[in-house]
Amino acid sequence: MMTVMASSPGEQIDWVSGLIQRARKGDSHAFERLYREFSGRVYSLCLRMTRDPAQAEDCVQEAFINAWRALDRFEVRSSFSTWLHRIAVNVVLMKRRRVSYGLETPLESEQLEQSDWQLDTPVEESELEEAIAGLPEGARDVLVLAGIYGYSHGETAQMLGVAEGTCKAQLHRARKLLKERLNVGLN
Amino acid sequence: MNTPNNSDGPRRIRSLGQLAQDIPPPRDLWPGIAAEIAKDAQGAGARSRDANPLTRPQWAALAAVVAALAVGVWVGRNVIPGGAQSVPIADGGNAQDVVAAAYIKDPRYMRDRAELVRSLDAKLKTLPPETQQKVLTSLETIRKSIADIQAALGRDPGNALLQELLVNSYQDEMRVLTAVHAAEGQEI
Repeated sequence: MMTVMASSPGEQIDWVSGLIQRARKGDSHAFERLYREFSGRVYSLCLRMTRDPAQAEDCVQEAFINAWRALDRFEVRSSFSTWLHRIAVNVVLMKRRRVSYGLETPLESEQLEQSDWQLDTPVEESELEEAIAGLPEGARDVLVLAGIYGYSHGETAQMLGVAEGTCKAQLHRARKLLKERLNVGLN
Repeated sequence: MNTPNNSDGPRRIRSLGQLAQDIPPPRDLWPGIAAEIAKDAQGAGARSRDANPLTRPQWAALAAVVAALAVGVWVGRNVIPGGAQSVPIADGGNAQDVVAAAYIKDPRYMRDRAELVRSLDAKLKTLPPETQQKVLTSLETIRKSIADIQAALGRDPGNALLQELLVNSYQDEMRVLTAVHAAEGQEI
């Protein structure tokens, strides 16, 4: 990450942290720089979760607006990108959420190790994106966060507001469905 | 084709991690964001530096929701023999309606809830007294939480956490009402 010299001699400031500090004081130009830097990561997540470019754009806008309002709650030592992802996931889920009328039986959880989701044979990127887009919501959400963006089971479960066991079960389900749709082995 | 990246054809990849993680939005979304930020600045003046945005009553409401959910889950597991089951009453309704700024307004939800509330007393009488008391305690806690969260949202309508807590609280209430409805006449 780029570093810039601060006004104080000998002090190195992470440029993202510097922008955040300025944005916290009301500097919207600093926040715009943050938007320019991170909007692609937020949009790609929203697009995969919503499968709709227009909805994804709405979610990105709302996520950044919420981020602006919540800047005081961001802990500088953590990752700004991850924090934005958490906000974006929350926005997507809020827009999607339906009132459920009954108790849901949690899926059987299985012991799954974190993996890089390697395919036995290469597939076309567009084909893989299509297969992911075709997954049911719950499975797709966990696959996007854990499989593509590399969040742990615990982090993924927390972002989606589900139990870690449910998250692991959904990942297992996603793996099975992807294997069937792509007709390749998935390790 | 076996080559992972063939410049003459579409890109082929071997892991999910190779998928693009940074896709720019098709259009520049900053003007819309800037407009909202400007409204905030005009409305609120200097940004609040409050590191703890939830007041004590709001934290109490949050704690009550967590406690109510535990009770609600207990009710779900004990009122329906054999454990929790899904008892759908109607389709989920339009998500936008559910989370609209004035919160729960889906007409089907409102109709179904009204019916369940109307029949609650009669259905409670079919349950053992201990279960009746637990259900009533659970509903009282959930409804108080809803009232506290709505009051907090009145002061901070854009608070996504409070909005989510409110939706969760209505879901909890519906789970309890549904469980009582489904358990009529059944023994524990």
